[in-house]
Amino acid sequence: MCCWFFLRRMGPVLLLWVAVCLSGSWAVDKGNFKTCDQSAFCKRQRAMKPGESPYRALLETMELTNTRLTLQLINDNNKVRLLLELYRLQGNITRVKINELKPLKPRYEVPDVLIREPPTEPLSLLSQDENGVVLSLGAESQRVIVSARPFRLDIVEGRDVLMSLNSRGLLGFEHLRMRKDTQADPEAENKEGTDPANPAETAKEEEEKVEDGMWEETFKTHTDSKPSGPSAVSLDFSLPGVEHVYGIPEHGDSLKLKTTDSGDPYRLYNLDVFQYELYNPMALYGSVPVMLSHNARRTMGIFWLNAAETWVDISSNTAGKTVFGKMLDYVQGSSETPQTDVRWISESGIIDVFLMLGPTPRDVFSQYASLTGTQAFPPLASLGYHQCRWNYNDQEDVRSVDAGFDEHDIPYDFIWLDIEHTDGKRYFTWDPHKFASPKEMLQGLQDKKRKMVAIVDPHIKVDTNYKIHNEIRSRGFYVKNKDGGDYEGWCWPGSAGYPDFTRPDMRAWWASQFAYDQYEGTMENLYTWNDMNEPSVFNGPEVTMHKDAMHESWEHRDVHNLYGLYVHRATAEGLIERSGGVERPFVLTRAFFAGSQRYGAVWTGDNAAEWDHLKISIPMCLSLGLVGISFCGADVGGFFKSPSTELLVRWYQTGAYQPFFRAHAHLDTPRREPWLFGPENTALIREVIRQRYTFLPYWYQLFYLAYQTGEPVMRPLWVEYPQDPATFALDDEFLLGRDLLVHPVTEEGARGVTAYLPGKHEVWFDIHTFQKHNGGQNLYIPVTMSSIPVFQRGGSIIPRKLRVRRSSTCMEHDPYTLYVALDNRRTAEGELYIDDGHTFNYEKKELMHRKFSFANGVLSSVDLEPNAQFTTKSWVERIIILGASKPSMVTLKTADGENQLEFDFDASMSVLTIRKPGMNAGADWTVTLQ
Amino acid sequence: CSFLSSEMRFHIITAAFLWAAFVESRKIRGISSSYKRFYRERKSFLCIDGSKIIPFEQVNDDYCDCADGSDEPGTSACPRGRFYCTNLGFRPHYIPSSRVNDGICDCCDASDEYNSHARCQNTCWNLGQKERAYVEGQMKTLDEGLRLKQQLIEEGVLLWREKQAQLRELQRAAEDLQIKLEEHRKRKHEADRLKEQTLKALKAGDRGKAPSIFRTHFKTFAHFAELFQFTQLGRQANKLTILHLTHLKIARLCLCAASRSPLKIPPYIWRALFGNTRGAQSQQRRIVNLSDLLFCLAAEWEAADLKKVEEAYETVNMEISDLQKKLEIDYGTDWEYLFLNGQCYKLKVYEYMYTLCPFNTVSQKSTAGTEVSLGLWGMWAGPAKNRYSQMVYENGEPCWQGGSRTTSVTLTCGTETGLRSVKEPSKCQYIMDFETPVACQPVLKQRGVHSEL
Repeated sequence: MCCWFFLRRMGPVLLLWVAVCLSGSWAVDKGNFKTCDQSAFCKRQRAMKPGESPYRALLETMELTNTRLTLQLINDNNKVRLLLELYRLQGNITRVKINELKPLKPRYEVPDVLIREPPTEPLSLLSQDENGVVLSLGAESQRVIVSARPFRLDIVEGRDVLMSLNSRGLLGFEHLRMRKDTQADPEAENKEGTDPANPAETAKEEEEKVEDGMWEETFKTHTDSKPSGPSAVSLDFSLPGVEHVYGIPEHGDSLKLKTTDSGDPYRLYNLDVFQYELYNPMALYGSVPVMLSHNARRTMGIFWLNAAETWVDISSNTAGKTVFGKMLDYVQGSSETPQTDVRWISESGIIDVFLMLGPTPRDVFSQYASLTGTQAFPPLASLGYHQCRWNYNDQEDVRSVDAGFDEHDIPYDFIWLDIEHTDGKRYFTWDPHKFASPKEMLQGLQDKKRKMVAIVDPHIKVDTNYKIHNEIRSRGFYVKNKDGGDYEGWCWPGSAGYPDFTRPDMRAWWASQFAYDQYEGTMENLYTWNDMNEPSVFNGPEVTMHKDAMHESWEHRDVHNLYGLYVHRATAEGLIERSGGVERPFVLTRAFFAGSQRYGAVWTGDNAAEWDHLKISIPMCLSLGLVGISFCGADVGGFFKSPSTELLVRWYQTGAYQPFFRAHAHLDTPRREPWLFGPENTALIREVIRQRYTFLPYWYQLFYLAYQTGEPVMRPLWVEYPQDPATFALDDEFLLGRDLLVHPVTEEGARGVTAYLPGKHEVWFDIHTFQKHNGGQNLYIPVTMSSIPVFQRGGSIIPRKLRVRRSSTCMEHDPYTLYVALDNRRTAEGELYIDDGHTFNYEKKELMHRKFSFANGVLSSVDLEPNAQFTTKSWVERIIILGASKPSMVTLKTADGENQLEFDFDASMSVLTIRKPGMNAGADWTVTLQ
Repeated sequence: CSFLSSEMRFHIITAAFLWAAFVESRKIRGISSSYKRFYRERKSFLCIDGSKIIPFEQVNDDYCDCADGSDEPGTSACPRGRFYCTNLGFRPHYIPSSRVNDGICDCCDASDEYNSHARCQNTCWNLGQKERAYVEGQMKTLDEGLRLKQQLIEEGVLLWREKQAQLRELQRAAEDLQIKLEEHRKRKHEADRLKEQTLKALKAGDRGKAPSIFRTHFKTFAHFAELFQFTQLGRQANKLTILHLTHLKIARLCLCAASRSPLKIPPYIWRALFGNTRGAQSQQRRIVNLSDLLFCLAAEWEAADLKKVEEAYETVNMEISDLQKKLEIDYGTDWEYLFLNGQCYKLKVYEYMYTLCPFNTVSQKSTAGTEVSLGLWGMWAGPAKNRYSQMVYENGEPCWQGGSRTTSVTLTCGTETGLRSVKEPSKCQYIMDFETPVACQPVLKQRGVHSEL
């Protein structure tokens, strides 16, 4: 929820603020957030124009070991030397690191994001002369060419250039320096790494460089003292043959990234943006500095591992922009080739970039997963429906909403409590009047096999009667201000401290606070939500923390985009620890970074009840999925403002087919529980939530796949149809796994939608009517209020549970219905994954993973994990074969023998329903159609 | 009620029926006796909607064959099915099929969890007793409530009549005042005219004329004096006496009166009247002077007086319209809600004190002391069959994001009148429970537990 809303409760002291806040209309006040021009380092770096790079590779300094190549670079203008490190990583990844050779003090290198030091593969030298070196990148005739003057890197495969670095000469590296406010030490600059041969020129260069904003910067009323001075890094990447780039969330923008020539670059800086606007490159709550490039032949990724404020410029080619050097003469270069040029600019730290070379989308997912890990495998229940509101007022309110779901026969798994449940915004506490007996309330939910989430934000009320505050203060765990005192900012509780989550000891202590005996009133079915972890500081610059605040020896500037990840991580670890490492956690976060997927779910923050916000939920979650964060959702209904009934229903219909499915609403909006809009709308919402529950086995299986491989659960069409350019920019429809295509209705008053069904040789079945459609076409689908265009791919088998109950846990032992959709060759394949749904025992192979295949009239189930052990009570109650012809006989064969099955054939739709085969879902069996 | 007269007998009957229910449920689980006829054991079963015929073995075989779910009344197989909880000793009811064997005890007779981990106890008897005790309590409340309501209705009728009478009285008073008002207007008009004349005469220096004006208008002058007397000196003076006083005496009287009022009497006038040492001639002249003064003063007295009458008239009219507005409100068929008008009821919830003044206002006061209006009387808003079960108060203090605060008050039957709960489910939308005997409805009596079988 947004920061500005606290204002009206804070009294007249802040009236001025209120005036500022209210003066705008309903949209974000852009003036509260910096443009590139207002961010001194961005302005400086962006002022550099493409051209000859001043950097030169000193080939004589090259050292090549088995695992890496190192090489010094020199800036011919100021003679500062940099150290380039080049690694070949397992799985077709090249890592390029550039740091100062001898920095005045260490520069920040992002820890805790990579899951391990990435394993390397040998690099071998292919050729070398005074112009550069050529190294082999293992198989596939991939090479990296290091050109010396000017310095550039090209990665080539065969005769194709895959990617070039510094080809536009935009490598920028502001070396650390002594401040020269006074003339006391004019020589300070020259002391580090400069060439004494030409001191006059160096001094001149330095003088030119002293600009406003290098040592101090003021934005609105906030001054950033920059004790380390300028420290920005930037680098350009050219992608020949590429017209489509994706990723670098979080932005309220289209899936396909736009060129930024005519405006600001895309910004990555975790911010609490009040009522964010859409279709612009402004920074939002989270940042994942990963970009994917795609064309019909290859998918690649660039992972820029830097946690400081970052801007990304994208431009599309103009012919002849790139001039290839002599080393590349043999390369088949055509000025007609489309090209995308990208430039990354960060405020501090080093250049540490991972070039994920694909070539397929799946390869890129697995390459990125090998670096930062995969999606945490969530508890099954968290894939159900979540009912949230700021706020459910008291226990009685919770009880009556819970009863409302039963009364209207609508399933849900989690009910949520926002900040008002606490005792005066002191997290880890309960309001003594409104939530006087939380365990009683939680037990009431437990009795219905339902769960709760309570919010725990990272800002801690400064109050000497508050245990959490006292402990953090006495342990010295708070982030410090530039003068060494505890940093304090305004947030929900008023004056608040911010625990330094970058410290492992702080995180361990935080995690320990979730123990049942520490966090009073809690039990196993209470989970956690981290909001405001950008961090949000109401009275800070851009509503966040001052960049000169200190995290031990590092400035907030260096770690900013990591803060939210650390909060999320410490919380998730707390939930794991409280169960003795047995239970999977569920933690939702608003701020995130690369690697956040390992800790739980994210949502797209404080959206609004507007049709455009419904539409944007698709590209926003698709972009997150591409960079590893699969467990994504948007507030159903929209957080700010009140949705029309039509919008609310459409949003439920969309949200039910997105990974994280939670309705949420602002404190100032009228109630909107699903049954408050008349029986017709209640029925529409009930129906779509029930559809969600029938697909839970499929969702769960997709999340298991995401956990294993890093493949997104919700994915753009191009991921599965990488050679079909018609899919490259689609972001009003999406795939769940490979097998479900969803085109939600996101237009007000829609009478129909046009969905692109991909795959020339594919067929798609409407999941509601079983109507079959050919792939490779734009299909117009007339819609009514009850329509949700969803298609199952011919060739797939999807297990569903049609007995929808009060909660997912109630459905645990229920039987499956298999939906077998035949392709044009009359074959189909699918999987079924089952485990206990909530513990880590799947890591010990207590799971069941089966593969179904249909070919030649025989449907069979075989074990994909013969070494795993799990028994289920669930059985197969029905098999529905879409696109079938009428058999004369259907026979089931199991270990127990053979028997004939009854069936029903609908000739008009070619649907064969096999009645009650009855075998256990874990058994080996075949069903033969004759 | 047999169970009250002979508990023993009841137990026997209960046992018999439990047995019967057991035998029955072994055959067709999850149906009520009224549906038994659809499930007579035959070779085949016709879905109740007539859509399909299936072999009878497929009834309750945990697979959904009928679109209407009628073949699986006792399992969770059909998405739209329902399961009948017999709940002997308590209230029978249907639950959705999806609650059969879901591990949660729904039927108090535990019949829905015949194949799950849940260890459900049969709690019907306890529930039944509780319910019966509750219903008994409710009945008592209802009886008492209805009795009180009758009283309140009677009082309401009286109150209504009283108010009507009050209205009539006020209307009469208004009529009287109107007549008076017209008189006063006339007089004021006259006084103004005389004042004008006098002033004109004085201006023209034509003193001689003044006495004749005075004489001509003696009556009016006397009346001014009289009025003056009444308003300034009190009511003890006799009208008739004053009428026969000589000019001089009247003038003296008036000045005596004036001297008690804030009006300043110029000293020379004072001497003229009470010095009284010179001859008759001068005395006559002084009287004339005095009469000039009196004409002027009279016009002002008359204006002030008219204003007073006007104010009185306005006040009465306002009272009339207030009362009319009050009486226009719908107080129920028997004016039973009338007594609430003029009352206020308070309830403290957490840090707030809420005040409901029925048919007038709703407000909230925080411990910090600021009072916020949560709405003004709007209308009855209950459903058509029970309009008087809900009140709406609208147009309270505006909300931060537009709109204004509103309160919806639900009236429930109780033996006392008071505010029972206040909630704010959404910002600026308040819900109150208000208990009062007049909300008691005889129909409530219908509800009950099947204590006999």
